[in-house]
Parts: sequence; C-alpha cells; structure tokens
Amino acid sequence: MRHPDRRAFAWMALVALGTLLGVWALLGNLPEPVVRDRFVVVPNGWAFVLGAFALLILGTAASAYTFGLATRPGRAGRYALTSGTHMFIWGVILTTFYPVLYLLAVSFNRNDTLAGALPREGNLFVRAGVIPNPTDISTVQYEKVLSQTHMLPFQWVLIALLVLAAVGIFGVKLAARVANLPAYRTDGWTRVLGLGIFALAAVIVVSITPAQFYGVTEAGARVPASSERTILLYIRNTLLVSGLTGMFAVLIATTAGYAFARMRFEGRYATLLSFVFVQMFPGFMALVAIFWLMVQLDLLNTFTGLILAYSGGAIAFSAWIFKGYLESVSPALEESAMVDGATRWGAFWRIILPVSTPMLLFIFLLQFIGTYSEFILANTLLQGQENWTVGMGLRNFTTGRFDTQWGALTASAVLGSIPILLIFYAFQDALTSQQTAGGVKG
Amino acid sequence: MRPGDSVSWPHVHRPRAIGSHAKQEVPAIDLSDPRVALPRARTTAGGLVKSLLLIGAALTVALIAGFGGVVVLRLAIPDLPAWSGLLIGLLALVFVLWGISRRFAWIMPWYYVLPAIVFLLTFTFFPVLLTIWLAFTDYAGARNGQLSVATTTPIVAVDGNRITVSDPAGLNCEVLRNGCVDVRAEVYSFDLLAVTAVDYADGVLTLAEPLPRGREARQVEMFLPDLGFEFSTEIESVDGALVRLVSAPPFAPDLERIGIQMADEVDRRIVTLDGAVLTLDASLPADFEATAIARYNEYGFIGLSNFVSILSRAQRSLIPVFAWNVSFAVLTILINTAFGVLLAVLLNNPDLRFRNLYRTLLIVPWALPNIITIQVWRGFLNENFGVINRVLMLFDITPDPINWLGVAMAAKGAVLLVNLWLGLPFMMTAVLGALSAIPRELYEAAKIDGASAWQGFWGVTAPLLRTALVPITLTGFAFNFNNFNLIFLLTDGGPPVDWGTATARGTDILISWAYNEAFRSQGGYAYGLGSAISILIFVITVAVSLVNFRVTGALKEESNT
Repeated sequence: MRHPDRRAFAWMALVALGTLLGVWALLGNLPEPVVRDRFVVVPNGWAFVLGAFALLILGTAASAYTFGLATRPGRAGRYALTSGTHMFIWGVILTTFYPVLYLLAVSFNRNDTLAGALPREGNLFVRAGVIPNPTDISTVQYEKVLSQTHMLPFQWVLIALLVLAAVGIFGVKLAARVANLPAYRTDGWTRVLGLGIFALAAVIVVSITPAQFYGVTEAGARVPASSERTILLYIRNTLLVSGLTGMFAVLIATTAGYAFARMRFEGRYATLLSFVFVQMFPGFMALVAIFWLMVQLDLLNTFTGLILAYSGGAIAFSAWIFKGYLESVSPALEESAMVDGATRWGAFWRIILPVSTPMLLFIFLLQFIGTYSEFILANTLLQGQENWTVGMGLRNFTTGRFDTQWGALTASAVLGSIPILLIFYAFQDALTSQQTAGGVKG
Repeated sequence: MRPGDSVSWPHVHRPRAIGSHAKQEVPAIDLSDPRVALPRARTTAGGLVKSLLLIGAALTVALIAGFGGVVVLRLAIPDLPAWSGLLIGLLALVFVLWGISRRFAWIMPWYYVLPAIVFLLTFTFFPVLLTIWLAFTDYAGARNGQLSVATTTPIVAVDGNRITVSDPAGLNCEVLRNGCVDVRAEVYSFDLLAVTAVDYADGVLTLAEPLPRGREARQVEMFLPDLGFEFSTEIESVDGALVRLVSAPPFAPDLERIGIQMADEVDRRIVTLDGAVLTLDASLPADFEATAIARYNEYGFIGLSNFVSILSRAQRSLIPVFAWNVSFAVLTILINTAFGVLLAVLLNNPDLRFRNLYRTLLIVPWALPNIITIQVWRGFLNENFGVINRVLMLFDITPDPINWLGVAMAAKGAVLLVNLWLGLPFMMTAVLGALSAIPRELYEAAKIDGASAWQGFWGVTAPLLRTALVPITLTGFAFNFNNFNLIFLLTDGGPPVDWGTATARGTDILISWAYNEAFRSQGGYAYGLGSAISILIFVITVAVSLVNFRVTGALKEESNT
C-alpha cells in the first residue's frame, strides 16, 4: 500500500491548468471561418474539436489520477477512469441531446422556413445556423398551431386542476425527498393524485370535439380549420385511440393470460403457440383484408374500427406478458381463497386482479405507447382530416412542404411528444425494465 | 409429461440468473409440496376435440345470429349499420356459451381464453387468411371487385340481350384479366324527375316530399336565377327529403325548378364483347329504358403468377431488397450493440456518481414517440438547409454537403444513423439490465484471486454478457427486419436507383416494398404481389423467433407443462 503523496497536489494543479490552457488554445486558435456554398466552414475544424475533446478527457483523467495519488493512491486508477468516463458521457449526452434541443429551439423561433438565409450577426454557431438565432426567440409558432383551437371554459378548469394535481404529485415527491419521509406516508397521496391526473386527462380528452376547431375570419365568420392548425385535435384523437386500445387489450387479455398461467387443459400449449405465431404475420400486410372487413362492418373512418383492428395484435402480446407475470406470483393466495369456498372466477376477480393492478397498468401503458406511434393502419382506416392521428398530421407537413411549414412542424412535434414523454418518465423504471425484459428473458 | 398431469401444476416461474441458461434442470417433483395435491381446473374430462367442436358450434351460431339478425332487422330499419351484427352475435354467443357451460362444466378454462381467441380470429387470423388467398389472385386497385363508376358508357341501341355502346373504349376492358369477357356489369336507366324544394342551406336541399324508394338519385340539376344558368352537381347522400350535395351552388337556386336524375339499374354479366356490341347473359326487362352500362372491377384466381413474377424480376427487386434488408438489420444491430455495450459498461461502474442521472438523460430518444422524431429527422437531413449538414460542414468533416435522402448510399447511412439515435437507449438499458444481473461476488472472487479490473472485465463480464446478448440482439434483429416506420417515414424507401424498380428503391426493405406493390403501384399485379412478399416476411420472422425461443428456452418450459 502506497502512502498519499501531498506533493501530487502540485502536479494536479499543473495538469489541470495545462489541460485548460490546451483546450483554450485549441479552441481559441480556430482557423478563420469561410463561406462555402450555403455553409459556414471552419477549415479542419474537426481536428481542433476532436483534439480539444480528447485533451479534456485525458487531462481530466490525469488530474484525477494525481488527485488520487495525493489522497488515496490505491484508488488513483479508479479516479482517473471515473472522471474520464464523466467527460466522455457528457460528450455522448450532448450529441444525443443536440437534435432534441435544436428541435425545441426551432419551435421557439420566429423563422418558419427551413430554407431561410443564415444570419450574419451573432457567434459562430448562430452564423453557421447550427443553433437558431437567439434574437428571434418567440412563441409565435405555438400561437399559430393553436390559433384555431377554442377550448371551452370548463375544459380550462379541468386543465387547471390537472396542472395542480401534477404540481401536487411533484410536491409530494419533493417533500418526501427533502424531509426523508417513509413511503407509507406519501403513497396514499401519490395514488390519489395519480388517479386524479388519469381521470382528468381522460375527461379532457373525451370532452374535446372537432367542433372546437375552426378559424374565425376578420368579419367574424367561422371557417373550417386548416389541417396545419389542429395538432391538438390530432393529439386528442391519438390519445383517445391509444387509451381505448390499451384498456381493451387489458380487458380481453387478462382472462386469457390467467387461463394460460393457472389452468391446465388440453389444447393449452397449441393455443399458446398459435397466439405467439399468428401475430408474427406482418400485421399491416393484412391491411386490405382489414380495410375490406371494416367496409363490410360500416366501421371505416371510425375510431371503433381502428381500435378493433389494433386489438388483434395487442391482445396476443398482452396475454403473453400477463401470463409471464402471473407465473411469478405465488398461487397460494388464490388457492387459499378457493379452499375457503371461492369459485375460480371469484378468485380471479377478487384476488388476482387487485394483486396485479401495477402489472395491468404497465400492460396498458405499453400498448398505449405502442399505439401512439402506429402509423400505417391509422393512415389506411382513417380518412377524414378531423380523425387524423398525430403521425398523420405531421406527415401532412413533411410531404414536401418543409419550406413553408418548418416552424409549425417543430411546434406540433414538441406538443405531440409531451404526453408520451411525461408518461415515459413517470413510469420510467417499470417501462424500461418491462420492454427490455422481452429481450433478456425472451 | 402429459398435459393435465396434476404433478406439474401449478407451474411456478423460475427466475434465472444470467449465465445459467445452459444447464437448466427440470426440478424434481416434490410430493410434499402442498400445492401439488390442490384441486386442478375442471378440465380433463372433455378433451381437445370435444372442446373445439363445442366452441366452434357456439361461434357458428353467433355468426349466423349476427348475419341473420342484421338481415332481418334491416327489413324494419333500413339504415341499420352492419356492426350491430357484432353486438347481436356477441349476445347470441354469451347465451349459447351459458347453455353449454351448464351441460359441460369442464369447458370453463376455454371461456377465459375465448374473448382473446375471438378477437384474434376476427382481426388477425381472418385478415391473414384473406391476404394469403389474395396472393393467388390479381387483386389490385383497378381490380378491387367494386363497381367502376368511371366506366359508365352510354348505350345507343338494345336488341334482346345484345346492346350497342357508343364507345367501347370507355369500358376500359384492357386492365381486366380476360378483357370484359364474363364480367359483372350494371345496366342503368336514367331519367330526370322534376321536384320542388322547400329549403336550401349549406349544401343540403330539403325537398317538399321524400324521393321515391328503390331508385338511386345521382345528380341534381337546378336553375340559378341570379346567374341565369343551370347548375348540376352529384349527390353525396339522401336522407328522406334531405339531399346532401357534393358541391354547393355558388348562388341560391330556384327551389321550384329542380330536377333530380334518378337511376334504375339491373345486374347482368357481359358474356362477349365484339367491337361496340356487348352480349349479356340475359335480356333486359321489357319496360327498361337502358341508357348506360358500367362494369365491375373483377379480379380472380391466377395461381402462382404473383410468385413467378417476383422471381422473374428478382434481379431488380427481390435480391437487392432482401440483401439490403438483411444487411440493414445486421448492421444496425451491430452498431447499436457496440455503442450500447460501451455505454452500459461505462455506466455500470459503481464508483461513477450521477450514473442514474446519466441513464435517465440518455434514454430521452426512447421516451419520444418515434413517429414524431423520425419525421423531424427528415428535416434535419435536408441536403441544403438541414442541421446535420450544417454541423458536418462547420467542422469541415465532409468537403461537400451530403445529399442524405437523394443518394442511395447516403440514404442507407442516414437510416443507420437515425436508427442508432433511436435504438441506442434500448440497447444500453437492456445491456445494463444484463450487467446488473451479474453477481458482484464473482468480481470479488476474481479480485481475491488477484485479477486486475481489466482481467475481471474479460474474465467475468465479457463471457456472461455474451450469453445475455444473444436474445437481445435476436429480438432487435426481428424488430428491425420489419422496421416499417423508420424506412417509410424517413426515406420513404427512396431514392430511386437504376438497378431497382418504381416500387423497389434504394432503401426499401421487404415490408416497405410489399407496401409499395400493394398500395402504390397501379400496375399489373399490385396487391396479390404484396401479399406474396408478406408471406415471405412471415416465414423469415418466424424462423428468427424460433431461434430466439430455442436460445432462451421460453417455449420449452411451456411444452413441459
């Protein structure tokens, strides 16, 4: 075991200073930018940036190593590795986030065209157009895409309540963190507020109607809404379809999953196999057949038809997951209930369903998120613009009209992403572990 | 073990640690286990055949009740929507099932599965069967079995069952398999009905009395006094005395002078076509004043022609598309796995502070709906104004801007790049999950044996990770093999290339190619061809999944029970 060597502090200071100076020198001596075609180019800029990044990682690692020598020599190597990792990860995070931040920045920018001329003022990044001009910050894009949405007073009240509940749940979490409260003191609040959020969101989604979307001319007459100004209606449609598909899948799949997990009957294995393999047929290649079916049932261009069409794939998958979950739950509970005289259905209804509420929620959310991003079936079955989903609404922007609608597209994209982003992060651990479990466990 | 053997019930899930895949023992049966002796489901009395027969009978009754119910009820309520048949059938099903369960109590387990089975049969299995059948037909946009209004051609003379049309080209016979021979057709008799209206507003005309039943109203002709002109438009729908017009007249019409074109129609079959003279299978009714004829878009069985045509053009479509599809799926998984393992190994370091924060930040592309992000990436990749090219040019990484969506190689690169951004969080999380399942003791044991951190990684992490990576990468492969959203929304399969066809282009994968054939080409064999391709995709997907199940043993456990 080596002893700490206080002199290493001096080395550390030297290395850190050297790193900073080196990075500063590299970035400060970038060649003069030139304009080539429509682009601002820093000749050989990549070498300077890559060099600075590498120097930053190595320099940080080296100063952490010398710090380790000065304090705990046995761990100096680890200090170096860990601090180098921090730098590297931040580089990755920056790269990953850049498109997201750029999207956000464009949506808060006055410029509506992708093809606008580059600004001549501002720093290098602004002049190169890799970050939007900060002097043009504005909410005009959001005002534009929401301008033909007319919310009713009671919907504003519901939205206010929703925001309050969301703030409340955040406050509870924060309070629990700060005051170090035990889970049993906060769980009740979290559950009530969470249910409240779900209920309010459901009521808002159901209460919004296509009739609330219209333009008003200067003379005060109502005109039909333009397809680029009704993103909120598309979001509402998508939430409605995804929510109902999720609920439907849970409703139908739980009994099947239960039977597969807990009952033994002839044909069980064959049925299970056919569930797994039938849904491997590329679902949307049955499009014409589904289209034909919906025409026969008079369900074309209705949400009911779309939800029924989604249900085929959703049910097999959900039943499979629920079966897997139940197999990890001990059957002792239901058995004791059945010994006490409960019927099998009673055991399922009163014991299994309450116990598996979290699992049912996750099946719902998985289906919800999956359906939100479905494009092709919706595109085939829904025809009227007032029935469009988010994906179809955005597709309407991207088919050749970037030039005039770039700002509106980005604002719509941000608005359309918010529901899923919130759900994903609210249930992050459960969702990620559930989705990757399929890959790990098979 | 036979199904129904009580000793195997209930089946208990056995969570496995990573690395124990290979040697999975069947646990010995412990007869002292209290669960073994507990009552089984009341199942074994029936047997598979009897259960299926009973359930099949119930479903048949429900189907007949649904169809029959709609037909009968439509006599009373003509506008009854067809989906009410679903509700009637459902009601009948519940009733029949209740009856069956009173007689055969052992059938109960099937009832739990039945709702799922019914939906799978109706909305997955039936469409799949229909699709497979269509693969052997020449079904296409121009041959969709519907009446083709566009082929309405005036009739100039009628002689028994032989009619003469003004312009045989109007029937557009060449798109059908056998021309117009043996094709269903409608013969129309048009006449103008003079009516009066009481009101007109917003494209809806309110007539003084409802239109006569049994004949189809097609067009409205009205007089616009302000303009002094006749105006005529198609009728969108008729509801009693309310007539909804396809396009509204620009000025108020004269409500007293309205003509509605009514059509009578008879259903016939064209037997032969000789110049402008058509022979029908039967002559027209005596008092029928035939004025026009329209044919149906008939389609029919063509055997293996679709498959033959795929193979005959394989050089230009099937082979290159299949090659790119496989290499895309393999490359994207290799790239994503390499980066995913790198990040996960770095983040798995317990000394690393904020690693949960980093993980949370890095999964943001996963948390955004890909249907939105893919379409936004399309804008980022724009050749002249996209931010990706601006960054590449700013740092002088490429000498010239890259035409991401316009050149086949660049488009392939763009697909891989965007899929890395989209798929890295999943890979990273999956690998982190696999890493966290490696017991810490293994590292400590290695350390006690004098292994360095580097040796610990190669001796412990790497071999265990390799086992865990197989199912992860196979799942990813199966998913990306059919990643329609990515290709369709990002590059739309483009750009067109010289070796390809109008439907098989630079970045088309099998599934987007099938989609293009089915829904975008109006050529000779559109939909049937698409169905044939999707059968091919199905076979490949099943093969990959079978390998996956074999590796993970997911289904093997099942067949033992």
